Amino acid sequence: MAETKETSEKDEKPKPRVRPIVRLGIFLISHSVLVSVVCCTAGVLALFLLPVLAKNTYISENALMPGSASPMLSYQHVSDGNRLVKDLTNLDLKSSETGIESQRVIAQYMLELGAEVSFHKFHAQLNQFHPLHFFSSPDSGVIQENFSCSSYGINTVGIIRAPRGDGKEAIVLVTPYNALKSGLGEAVSVGIAYSVFSLLTQVTWLAKDVIWLVADSRYGEYAAVAAWLRDYQIPKFSSLSTLNSEMCPDINNLYDLKVNSIAGSKYSNSFRRAGTMAAALVLKVGDQSEQYEDTISIYAEASNGQMPNLDLINVVNYLAVHRQGLRVQVEKLWSLLNSSWLKSLGEIFESLGKVAKSLNPEWKFGIPATEYVEGTATLASSLYYQALGVPTGPHGAFRDYQVDAITLEISPKYSLDKFRRNDILLRGGRLIEGVIRSVNNLLEKFHQSFFLYLLTSPSKFVSVGVYMIALALLIAPLPMVAASLYVDANSLDSKTNKSTPSTIADTAERGITIRSWRWLYSAKLVFAVHVWGAIVSLLPYFICQIPDCSSTISFMIWVVLSMISLLTLYSVLASPFSCNNASQEKEWALVKSVTISYVFIGLGLMSVINFATAEIGALLMVPMCLLARPLKFDLRAGSLRSFSRMVCNLVLGLIAFPPAAFFLLKGMLEDFGSVNIGDFWMWVESLWAWNSATYIFIGMVYLPCWVLCVHILLHTC
Amino acid sequence: MQKMGKQKNKTASFSFWNWVIASIIFRLILIYFPKNLNLASRPEVSTPLTSFRRLAEGYWLKQLSMSPYAGSMYHGSPLLLSLLGPLTVKRIEGQPNHLLYSLVSVIADVVSAILIRATGKNLRLAYLRSLESLDIVKQTKASGEFFKILSPGDAAALIYLWNPFTIVACVGLSTSPIENMAVILCLYGACSRLVPLAAFGWVIATHLSLYPAILIIPVIFLLGCGPDAPPRKLFLQKNDKEEVLNKSKLPLGFSWRPITHFAFWALLWSAYVLVLCGISLKQFGGLWEMFKSTYGFILTVEDLSPNIGVLWYFFAEVFDFFRNFFLIVFHVNILFMIMPLAIRLNHRPCFLAFVYIAIFSMLKSYPSVGDSALYLGLLGWFVNELADIQFSFFLFCGYVGVSLLSPVMHTLWIWRGTGNANFYFATAMVYACLQIILVVEGVSAMLNHDRKLRNLTTSKPQDAKS
Repeated sequence: MAETKETSEKDEKPKPRVRPIVRLGIFLISHSVLVSVVCCTAGVLALFLLPVLAKNTYISENALMPGSASPMLSYQHVSDGNRLVKDLTNLDLKSSETGIESQRVIAQYMLELGAEVSFHKFHAQLNQFHPLHFFSSPDSGVIQENFSCSSYGINTVGIIRAPRGDGKEAIVLVTPYNALKSGLGEAVSVGIAYSVFSLLTQVTWLAKDVIWLVADSRYGEYAAVAAWLRDYQIPKFSSLSTLNSEMCPDINNLYDLKVNSIAGSKYSNSFRRAGTMAAALVLKVGDQSEQYEDTISIYAEASNGQMPNLDLINVVNYLAVHRQGLRVQVEKLWSLLNSSWLKSLGEIFESLGKVAKSLNPEWKFGIPATEYVEGTATLASSLYYQALGVPTGPHGAFRDYQVDAITLEISPKYSLDKFRRNDILLRGGRLIEGVIRSVNNLLEKFHQSFFLYLLTSPSKFVSVGVYMIALALLIAPLPMVAASLYVDANSLDSKTNKSTPSTIADTAERGITIRSWRWLYSAKLVFAVHVWGAIVSLLPYFICQIPDCSSTISFMIWVVLSMISLLTLYSVLASPFSCNNASQEKEWALVKSVTISYVFIGLGLMSVINFATAEIGALLMVPMCLLARPLKFDLRAGSLRSFSRMVCNLVLGLIAFPPAAFFLLKGMLEDFGSVNIGDFWMWVESLWAWNSATYIFIGMVYLPCWVLCVHILLHTC
Repeated sequence: MQKMGKQKNKTASFSFWNWVIASIIFRLILIYFPKNLNLASRPEVSTPLTSFRRLAEGYWLKQLSMSPYAGSMYHGSPLLLSLLGPLTVKRIEGQPNHLLYSLVSVIADVVSAILIRATGKNLRLAYLRSLESLDIVKQTKASGEFFKILSPGDAAALIYLWNPFTIVACVGLSTSPIENMAVILCLYGACSRLVPLAAFGWVIATHLSLYPAILIIPVIFLLGCGPDAPPRKLFLQKNDKEEVLNKSKLPLGFSWRPITHFAFWALLWSAYVLVLCGISLKQFGGLWEMFKSTYGFILTVEDLSPNIGVLWYFFAEVFDFFRNFFLIVFHVNILFMIMPLAIRLNHRPCFLAFVYIAIFSMLKSYPSVGDSALYLGLLGWFVNELADIQFSFFLFCGYVGVSLLSPVMHTLWIWRGTGNANFYFATAMVYACLQIILVVEGVSAMLNHDRKLRNLTTSKPQDAKS
């Protein structure tokens, strides 16, 4: 409410006078301080209002029709699944040397159902930082290196051909399974998938092929799925795959012989494909949940804050809650749940909502405080994982190929003993069946619902149109302040020039000619600092090549090299501190103006690529940029206002330094005792390993902005 | 990039050639990462007319003795096929695939830069001469002091060489560096009064991309009355005032001799080019086929794949029975602006050429960043005149922002699937608006400059009195 009031206030100011748009712009620019204060507070408030403004989800695509058919999964299928689980666990007890045995068992089960089965061999691909990956399309990311036979992973793939389909589309079901070290949970997830799979071989309604991928997760779940997807989507014409089998003949032989001897006809040695993927579900069964119900957690964040279509989550949520009686949850920042300030904020919003309701019962505004706190915690984690740009599970690999995918993790109420296991198999299986049936109804790919949203609970979301307002308000002052600074600097300059008595005509002339291009000097500085930012973000690639380097030492090397490069750049590009010329007096204003413009461009770009990063970055950068002012002026002025501004500047300058911000956040969320200097390096390493755009943002937008702000603070003229 | 060019000009130890060499090295470094940068497949760089892949395809078709225009893949000139085609398949062991072809682009860029520099020097001389003849050298000394160091030729050449658009077009293997070179050749020839060269440049540029045909008007002005100068009226006024008939100080009147020369040479060159094309396309349908699939393809906007222009979106949306009407409207749009601008700016033919190039690179059917690179480079010629252009900072930020945002929007639409065509088209519209602002502000700054010169000439007697 408060936010809307303020914005309306802002809008009303220029309204009464109906004037050309230029006048409006001039008005806003001349009152830039007030406007920026109002806009920034409104932006922060709008961010906190998001949980209140969240809408209930609804199924947008009518063709999905979730839950309209009664589930067909019977106890027969469940007992089939249970048989597989038992076999797998027995195998585990017997021998766990290679893990090949369990894959063989799964393949055998698939073959018995009449599915097409193939094995997919892949190399565990090391996640490696490659500076140019960010600009290339996904297919060129294949790095082919020599691998030894030991780093093999083997996915088992079963495909059911749809009786009613034309083989052009497919639905993917993924169960990560680590044959070497499998817990009961993984076996149960395979069991659920198997029971669904066995049902799907019999049904007549299937219009899309179903692919069941048992991903070998010994090198991580994501790597296995990503490797399979890469081979699925990008046919390899090189001889790499044949080369592999030549390299490691023993593994292949083992496979072919054993499987062939069992079944025969539908097993194939080559890579099998179905149609384009309509959707993918990754199924996991976790350990016992802390909740008092069977819960199912949904993980949706893919790389760079991409989300699957909201309809997919809606379908799962609807079926789980209304059909299977499962409790659905999404990630939360648990540490926020107990914070008292959030609770009081929630209470304020609640009472505001009550007031609004008493004024007009039509206004349905405000939610209970507890709900608000939960919504905020969910929203915060949603923002955090999107901002990180690292996928939260194997589903992330699908999004790179425009396939909507989510990970479902079922956590049962009790431990998975025999009776409970049947129940979980039945309910989990029916849920999966329902989702597959819904997706099966789909005529086109998911497009109806949102792709850009934030979740505040499994059944509530904030759409792009709403959350963009918060960011837009936050960064709206930037162009205005930049313009006003620019105008100020220029007008002041010409004034000082005119006041000098010598050769009035000449200086006036000169003032005009130089004035319109004077920003070039500042632009040069800003450009140089951005080049430095690019260098800094490339440095880890070279530091990585140093063998046997602990994270702390790497971090230190990085910092030192960055400092050296900054100093050299400063000395090479005519020292910006020198102010021998009188007209350079207002140099800092121009530097600030150019900086702010570039920050605006950077934030605008990032908001399109990854909203969450832009929002978090804006929260730090916007106040820092707007407040920056040479400390010397504030010291000279000596008033309370300038003193407080100086303190603010110093604090912001300290906090906003990327490592400092990281350690502060980590300390706040976890514990200050556990903070280690090397952690930052590890974090950065994970960012670039996942090709996160956040890394580029920090290196090329955030860090240069910080350096420029510090430069302005230390300006000596 | 203007920044870079200017900045380096300021420093005393400035060396033009160092920066040229640095730009060549920079290009070569980028050429060694062709796979990673993948610029050749960007819609901003390669349009159906300038795409390298299409050129290679056309060459292959021709090698297989089929018409290079079969299958609507190639739409360029048959001469390019014969000249550049072999380079598309030639490979050197251990080197990037298209090294030879890239080297040709780099050479084209450097040649263009050198020609721009030479033309800029010509323009500067003409500018100084006109100032002298108006006796306002002293008044403009201040500005002259600022710009003496900053010779427009060097600035323009460096802006052209270091403009990211030029670099991207060069490394992205598009044919626009060669088209740009032809345009610059034409202007250079006209400026230095080398009529055959000017005619050759004009014919080749028109042959390659059709739109430079309208440059015939500035070329005629250039040949007829010499390079850019303040309005003729000013000289006449001045002479009236001083009542000294100093004929030598008057700029030359319009002379028809070089223009007839130009017409003759243009005819000769175009006949030559047509004969060559005819020979190379003898078996494949002859010249008519060429006109249909080059000029026809340009004028009817057949390919609606997205680019940084505004026409693809419009013609994808428009109903079929309005299509011809709007085709005419859009192309006449360019022609409409020719006459008024020619009348208003006839005393500044080079600037007129710049304005024409900016306009047609905004409204042409398949624009690419290579076209923008050309007019942004030419902008450097007028640093003296456009010193007090308005919104320079805004325009600069706009260009930076759009050129970053456009690929992002394209990725969002094509690769991520979370955006749609409107996202990308929005950036195209913003880009078009920026270009319009640039042209409008440029023209008004130029007219203001003329006004300023007039004020200086007229106010001089008063100064003398005081």
